[in-house]
Amino acid sequence: MTRYGSTTATNPREAADWSTGRVIRTNLRAVVGRAYPRVIGLTREPSWLFFEIFLPFLAVSAFVFVYRALEAPEAFIGFVVLGGAMTSFWLNVVWMMAAQFYWEKDQGNLELYFTAPMHLMSILAGMAIGGLVMTSSRALAVIGIGSLLYGVTYDVQQPFLLAGVFLLTMIPLYGMGMLFASLFLLWGREAFHLAQLLQEPIYFLGGVNFPLRAIGPVAGVVVATLPLGVGLDAMRQLAFADSGVEGVLPVGPEVLILSAMGVVFLVAARLALGYLETLARREGRLTLRWQ
Amino acid sequence: MAVIDRAEPVRGITLADAWRSFRTAIGLGWAIESNWSDPFLFAVYTMAKPLAAAGILVVMFQVITQGANPEFLQFLIVGSALWNVVFGVMSGLVQSILEDRERYRMIKYVVVTPTGLFPFLLGRSLARVLVSFVAVVLTMLVGVLFLDVELRPNLLYLVPATVLGVVAVIALGVFMAGWCLQLRQEAWSYPEAIAGALYLISGAIFPIDILPSFLHPIAYASPTTWWLEASRRGLLGHGSPGALGGISDGMVLLLLAVSTAIAVPVALAAFAWFMQRARRAGLLDMTTGS
Repeated sequence: MTRYGSTTATNPREAADWSTGRVIRTNLRAVVGRAYPRVIGLTREPSWLFFEIFLPFLAVSAFVFVYRALEAPEAFIGFVVLGGAMTSFWLNVVWMMAAQFYWEKDQGNLELYFTAPMHLMSILAGMAIGGLVMTSSRALAVIGIGSLLYGVTYDVQQPFLLAGVFLLTMIPLYGMGMLFASLFLLWGREAFHLAQLLQEPIYFLGGVNFPLRAIGPVAGVVVATLPLGVGLDAMRQLAFADSGVEGVLPVGPEVLILSAMGVVFLVAARLALGYLETLARREGRLTLRWQ
Repeated sequence: MAVIDRAEPVRGITLADAWRSFRTAIGLGWAIESNWSDPFLFAVYTMAKPLAAAGILVVMFQVITQGANPEFLQFLIVGSALWNVVFGVMSGLVQSILEDRERYRMIKYVVVTPTGLFPFLLGRSLARVLVSFVAVVLTMLVGVLFLDVELRPNLLYLVPATVLGVVAVIALGVFMAGWCLQLRQEAWSYPEAIAGALYLISGAIFPIDILPSFLHPIAYASPTTWWLEASRRGLLGHGSPGALGGISDGMVLLLLAVSTAIAVPVALAAFAWFMQRARRAGLLDMTTGS
């Protein structure tokens, strides 16, 4: 007779028959466990702190100086600072969500995730929550330092709506990261290069350094597909209400689009994960490093 | 059976040895850089990043100026295009050395071969450097075809400027590669950080007069500043707007030569010291898990 968890089971089948409460508790523990290293890394890994603030700040500074050289209105400096802060989240999504399963496979953790008694969505949710907390501190630092150093003035007339739009942007953004985590794993060795590929082109399409309307009709496609672009467009309208620069759409429709994107990306991530799991078990590629 | 004969002494490393090692490393580097994907995706990857980076600057320029001041646009395009080389060289050298230590775990075997690491490292990173030159050509081509960038190349000026500039950038990359061997973690981020800092101070996309005055001496000391300025003059027929534009062509080339002449021996000496330290401290077969 073997003891599994808190109850004594007479056979493995009985031991595997968990109550709903136990399933939920185990998955919540997995979420907390996977979020923990990212949250605790806030204080334990100073090099992360340096690079995740310093690198976006360098890029922000370069674009601020370009606008200064072009004698642009001051609101554009604010656009760049806000865009720079949001790139921290995008980098986190690309490198620490999308590419993460690939790294985990290289390090031998992925097979443990698959065999552990919790859903992989819990691992992804933990990664997302931990990453969100960790990156928020970096983004706030970029906004704080950038605003002070470059004298950005904000005109926020609806602070709660701005906070709501930010949180609403994070759901599809990290949902996209969850979806990419499965896809990157399927694409194998291309993960590093694909992560690289999702930087400058996305900064360009997402209007990170300029109002999204400036890219013309392509902005419509971006609003329909890229959470970073549509969220940033809405946040700029709310944070710089007096700038006179119009968004691609008013804030209301952009909020609806973000909500829909949140649902679509989370469902797609769930489906992709199921497909990945089936494929990985069938083809036995979970333990193949560097593939 | 006992070994009674002494082995033949190992002869010194010849240029032919170094060349063979360099050539083999080029093939290896190219295979690693390009065989992860099919040619189409590789081409997209090669083109999308530099074009998007230039596209960001072009849209910023158009939004503010509505197309006025085309000289500034030419300044932006050339700076943005050439910066691919700086980033390609620095990240190529650093990532080659780190990948071979951390991922493929080959660096210790390379170091103990008679030719040593240096020619191997240069060859191994050459693929990324070549890709970065493709990005330069592509960005310039888009500038000429779609953005009315007028090239007036002066080869007598451009060729020596390019040679000196690339040598200086390789020297910076060699220094960084040696330095990154010493780091415990996050060494992967250093090329981006240093290239980002140089991007800011070298007048790549804005005149250095815009920088706070305390950064001006660093900007004037960097060979990348003079390389970009000399390349603009060699490609466009005119220099940057602002203070650099007022310096004569000859003086710009001289300052590039002087800064390169300082950077190269300093980088080589530093690399030799870094390697010596890496051998002593056992850093060549260390894996940081980063």
